[in-house]
Amino acid sequence: MQNVKRVATGIPGLDAMLNGGFLPRTANLVEGAPGTGKSTLGMQYIYEGARRDEPGIILTFEEFPEQYYRDAEAFGWDFRALERQNKLKIIMSSPEVTKADLENVEGTIQNLIAEMGAQRMLIDSITHFEGLHQDPVKLRKLMYGYLNALKRQDLTLILTRESTHLFGEGLEGQLDASIQFLADTYIMLRYVEIESTVQRAIVVLKMRGSAHDSTIRQFEINAQGLKVLQAFEGQEGVLSGSPKRMSESFMKAFVRR
Amino acid sequence: MMRREDLTARVMRDMDPELFDFVTTYVDSFIKWDLLRFFYENPHTMDTGENIARYAGRTAEDVQAELQDLTRRGLLIEMPVENMRVYMLKADPEIRARLQRFAEATQDREFRRKVIYHMVRH
Repeated sequence: MQNVKRVATGIPGLDAMLNGGFLPRTANLVEGAPGTGKSTLGMQYIYEGARRDEPGIILTFEEFPEQYYRDAEAFGWDFRALERQNKLKIIMSSPEVTKADLENVEGTIQNLIAEMGAQRMLIDSITHFEGLHQDPVKLRKLMYGYLNALKRQDLTLILTRESTHLFGEGLEGQLDASIQFLADTYIMLRYVEIESTVQRAIVVLKMRGSAHDSTIRQFEINAQGLKVLQAFEGQEGVLSGSPKRMSESFMKAFVRR
Repeated sequence: MMRREDLTARVMRDMDPELFDFVTTYVDSFIKWDLLRFFYENPHTMDTGENIARYAGRTAEDVQAELQDLTRRGLLIEMPVENMRVYMLKADPEIRARLQRFAEATQDREFRRKVIYHMVRH
């Protein structure tokens, strides 16, 4: 698997964490609280694809395409121009309609993928699937079929998922265990409080079939998009949202008072 | 005294013929106008009448009827997907170009006034 051509995200620092990028025809989950940068990461991935002549589709549930055009413009990415060049399409739909459409032979999405030669897709966000089934087993089966239908089209996917907690662990809902299992890569974005400032952290928790960097790194969103920075050094408990200096916890654990 | 039809006809007379044709073919209610704007701004929408109504902030019953009407008039396509009826903007570049012209024209207050005259008359 190490010699397979990777699908680069184009995000400085992230491709190095992913050992060159995602593996082709995989479903890659990006999970984080609102505002952590999930959609920006996804849009940057799609933009990078268009730049490399690997057309992409953004499948949005309840978020208006207008919002993507506007957000992308802020980073200097002209999504309307990419649509005119047939390198991007932003489809607004609902989980139930796209699921049914993908099950059809020659459904609309399948035809669009073929017509554009799409290779990348951003699904923003899969949290909306939770409304389709209360039963976690049925939901898992549904997601399994859905993701396979898209992978069958030779797409490399980014799926975003919202976490309701701003800091620390906040996974809840029917999709939790299922989607983490079904996804080939699991990237977590977190807010972290360090010395009274809020910083952003990124970690690749899982990457099926590939080595990856598992350090927790800082990242920023600047005028060009996301940029992964250095690892949080000398800190522990970063994913809890409020890390401690190592020496402090070491003292607590090993020094008798 | 001038009849209402004459007044409206006079107001509409100086409208660009292509836009006049678009307005008289597709725009006869405020809900249709909303839907035209919605599909112009979100051209790759593929969804049920109920969901489109939610996006447009209108009731499902009102929107469903107008979506069917726009389908009959050739602007949208209706597809059965499983047990749902799904609506999309026709891919025809000519129709999309006409919709774009209409959407751009509605930036002008005078044009909007004319369209409202037309709808009131209808």
